[in-house]
Amino acid sequence: MPDLLPILVAALVAGTPLVYAALGELVAERAGVINLGVEGMMVVGAVVGFAAMMGGAGWPAAALAAAAAGAALALPFAALAVSLGANQIAAGLALTIFGTSLGSYIGKPYVGMALAPAPSALQQAAGQIPGLGVVLGQLHPLVWLSWAVFGGVWWFLYRARAGLVLRAVGESPASAWAIGHPVGRIRYAAVLFGGAMAGLAGAFVSVVYTALWTEGLIAGRGWIAVALVVFATWRPGRCFAGAYLFGGATIAQLFGQTALAAVPSELMSALPYLATVVVLVVISRDEARLRLHVPASLGKPFSA
Amino acid sequence: MPLRIERRPRPSRAMSWASPLIAAALTAAVAMILFALDGREPVSTLWIFLTTPLADLYGFGELLLKAAPLILIGVGLAIGFRAGVWNIGAEGQLVLGVIFGGWLALEFGGAGPWVMPAMLLAGGIGGALWAAVPALLRTRFNASEILTSLMLNYCAQLWLAYLVFGPWRDPAGFNFPQSAPLHPDALLPIVIENTRANIEIVIAVAAALVAWIFIERTHLGFQLRVTGAAPGAARYAGFPVRRAVWIGMLTGGFAAGVAGVGEIAGPLGQIFPTASAGYGYAAIIVAFLGRLHPAGIVPAGLLLALLAIAGDYAQMMLGMPSSIGGLFQGTLLFFLLAADVLTTWRIRRVEDAPLPATEAA
Amino acid sequence: MTDLTRRRLLQGAAAAGLAAGLSPLAARPVLAAGEKLKVGVIHMGAISDTGWEYFQAEAWRALQEEFPDQVEVTVLENITQIQDCERLFRQLSIQGHQLLFGTTFSQYASLRKLAPTLPKSHFECCAGIDAGPNLGVFEARHYEGTYLTGIAAGRMTKSNVLGWVGAFPVPQVIYSLNAFLLGARSVNPEATLKIVWVNDWVNPGKEKDAVATLVAQGADVISGSPNTPVQGLAAEEKGVWSIGSTGDFSAYVKQKQLVSFELDWSAAHIEAAKGVMAGTWEPTARWRGLGPDGFVKMTTASPELPASVADEMAKAEAAIVDGSFQIFSGPIRDNAGEMRVAEGETMAPEDVKGMTWLVEGVEGSLPKG
Repeated sequence: MPDLLPILVAALVAGTPLVYAALGELVAERAGVINLGVEGMMVVGAVVGFAAMMGGAGWPAAALAAAAAGAALALPFAALAVSLGANQIAAGLALTIFGTSLGSYIGKPYVGMALAPAPSALQQAAGQIPGLGVVLGQLHPLVWLSWAVFGGVWWFLYRARAGLVLRAVGESPASAWAIGHPVGRIRYAAVLFGGAMAGLAGAFVSVVYTALWTEGLIAGRGWIAVALVVFATWRPGRCFAGAYLFGGATIAQLFGQTALAAVPSELMSALPYLATVVVLVVISRDEARLRLHVPASLGKPFSA
Repeated sequence: MPLRIERRPRPSRAMSWASPLIAAALTAAVAMILFALDGREPVSTLWIFLTTPLADLYGFGELLLKAAPLILIGVGLAIGFRAGVWNIGAEGQLVLGVIFGGWLALEFGGAGPWVMPAMLLAGGIGGALWAAVPALLRTRFNASEILTSLMLNYCAQLWLAYLVFGPWRDPAGFNFPQSAPLHPDALLPIVIENTRANIEIVIAVAAALVAWIFIERTHLGFQLRVTGAAPGAARYAGFPVRRAVWIGMLTGGFAAGVAGVGEIAGPLGQIFPTASAGYGYAAIIVAFLGRLHPAGIVPAGLLLALLAIAGDYAQMMLGMPSSIGGLFQGTLLFFLLAADVLTTWRIRRVEDAPLPATEAA
Repeated sequence: MTDLTRRRLLQGAAAAGLAAGLSPLAARPVLAAGEKLKVGVIHMGAISDTGWEYFQAEAWRALQEEFPDQVEVTVLENITQIQDCERLFRQLSIQGHQLLFGTTFSQYASLRKLAPTLPKSHFECCAGIDAGPNLGVFEARHYEGTYLTGIAAGRMTKSNVLGWVGAFPVPQVIYSLNAFLLGARSVNPEATLKIVWVNDWVNPGKEKDAVATLVAQGADVISGSPNTPVQGLAAEEKGVWSIGSTGDFSAYVKQKQLVSFELDWSAAHIEAAKGVMAGTWEPTARWRGLGPDGFVKMTTASPELPASVADEMAKAEAAIVDGSFQIFSGPIRDNAGEMRVAEGETMAPEDVKGMTWLVEGVEGSLPKG
């Protein structure tokens, strides 16, 4: 009987970068901007976070630096997509290509290096909590922070006035503008938040998940995050659950390989992607219901 | 002297031609700044960067070899993009071309000169079939083709890996992941002697011409353009969006599939699990850089191929990481999208500004 | 630009001089007095701090150290697309590089086509299938290293379950993991080996998850063919042993790396360069394991490895080096129970390279041919 706790922990860790990146993208899309540059911003975030750690920063500083780098990268995208009304799909793809190359350019000196494992004091303290400590003690504080981010995003979108305004901007920028909301500024803020979260997601991968930098580290996780937002029908709760579901699917396929040796391992490796397609289909099938949830102005530029 | 941005009464034709040039100039400026930061003489470095790949006829052939799949796929994708169909799955569709064309080559390799054209056709069909999946999911189940086509890229890649690591492995190849070499009948003819440039570049340019006529001169092409520009109006005029999705996805998939055959029947001559080389993604930039117009996509494909080759040579000649090739590609697309704004907007000096208060501030 | 033209002229002149005095049998130095041997290396991946390309880079670094004044090395890295490698090798040759190295199997097919067309340069490809016209190949008998590390794993495992994180099922990986379990079973017949395929050469996230799933299934010694320290670090985090297979990660994996072996290609580079400089270079296939001038070197061992086990490993190593012991000698059954190598027989090297089956006790799948 395999020990299930490490599997659970591995699934939680595998899901965490997706939680950050997908929630960030969700906020941007809720404001009406689709940013396909998540992968590129994650790559740069991963390099910057890792470089900060190698430079002697602690994980909080490294995470902050990565978030700042992600936001900085989102800025030219926002300028194109929000201020200039450029095609968001194209601008996002440009950002991914640019970010991936930039990451490998600045990450060159760090390729193949690894961080010395250093469980944070917070994590050790959490391990002492009776009951929950068994799980918490194995999870980096950045995992807990992702839960806080989830709570924060949920509260913001559904309970805060500013969140209401952001949603209004995504639904109908013209009416939001008419009643005096600065549509452009709000969209900028949402895109920059998305960038910061993508950067943080990247840093989580390089600093906590694998504790090293190498090219190909992000390996398509940014794209999965974009898919998760649709999967979640733009609702943070489903987004949060979906991230762990995908993380769990990745672990399950590795786990299943020895149990189901007759199935080609390539097919097992493809399962998480196939599952994503199936889920997208199931979610999108009911057009009326989907339209109820998709931000009405998604992908459409707005100019006053 | 207050300046104001305002919408042009109609998109400027002159600007739509000028904006790629503006973008190229700005990218060159960024490149020179990067070279200068690296402690190099900017102008001569840029010169070396851009001209080394073209120093001889062979280099020119290499440019055509690399540009051919980019142009071919770019043209195919542009038809969909114009109709608002976002096929991000050209990479996987290319891989399906490798699988279908490769199967034919391995089964019927020496059967006669018909094999090569049949491979191109089979590859195209394979790519189109793979593209049909997101098309079906979009038209039937309303699922976003951006994401489904992207996910299928990973699946296609793994499928090819399965075949080359398994059934298609060269029995004489000691178990290494490669097929047996393709029969000479299955290879594309070389068009410039002593280079690797093959017939695919001719196919690509021909495809661009056909696409040009299709877009500009046929009713269906017109319908597609309208669907992309104003889906509501298109529906009102009785052009079903559904048809646009199918045509857009299938042409992109077909072109990518043909390009996939171009790789195994061209520079590779064998089937490898990594046959795709990322052309399916790069072609998306090519399509945009070429303003989604065949006449623009041909030079855009050449330019992107040049940047990719130059990135490798920069390493050899200048000792810079080859990732600067990709860096400049991304920068170029950014600037192009920004410069594009000038086709629909203009900056005007406002002579009699009615709001002097803001001017004072 | 001017530099390029000048180089070309020089190289053309040198070639003309060479052609003038060329006689097929005379071994004559290729270099004029004071001229340096120009060596070019194309790395498929990025040269990193550890892993496959790192050891490839260590080889040309050793070459530079051996001939500080006579050798000049041009290095290209991250040339990931097979389509590009023919152009770049050709360009290096035109620039006058007389000795060119490819670092992976993926470049082999291109080099096989290209090498005969560029007689002014000589080519060597690591992990290539076989020598061809103007193309030498060199490859390590990885399995000698994995067999020895398997002995350590077999002795140290408590659960009798070993784990292997596989990148792709290429021949080196298949015979490596088979030998790993044969080594373990030579001292512990109860040992079994579970494999998980990552289907990626470098995907640290997935590799880490693969380690976690192996550990959860009871594996307490983890091996594989990693390019980064991530597998060892993941094992250390779980409190189980890892093997530095084809790379010593003890600088990163400070406590739980049991033993390690490295790939040392310096002899491959230095011999080839000497041959080209002396005019005696011939395309050969070099397939070497442990021993002097070998390509496999046992490196570190954990202080916790009992001396008796280290002793067992040393004895086996000596027997492998002097040829008195063959790893793939019968009886060997595959994991479906079929007898593959009968008692008293030994597999031919070609059969080892072409292995498409897993030895008894391995749990996992291989793509079917």
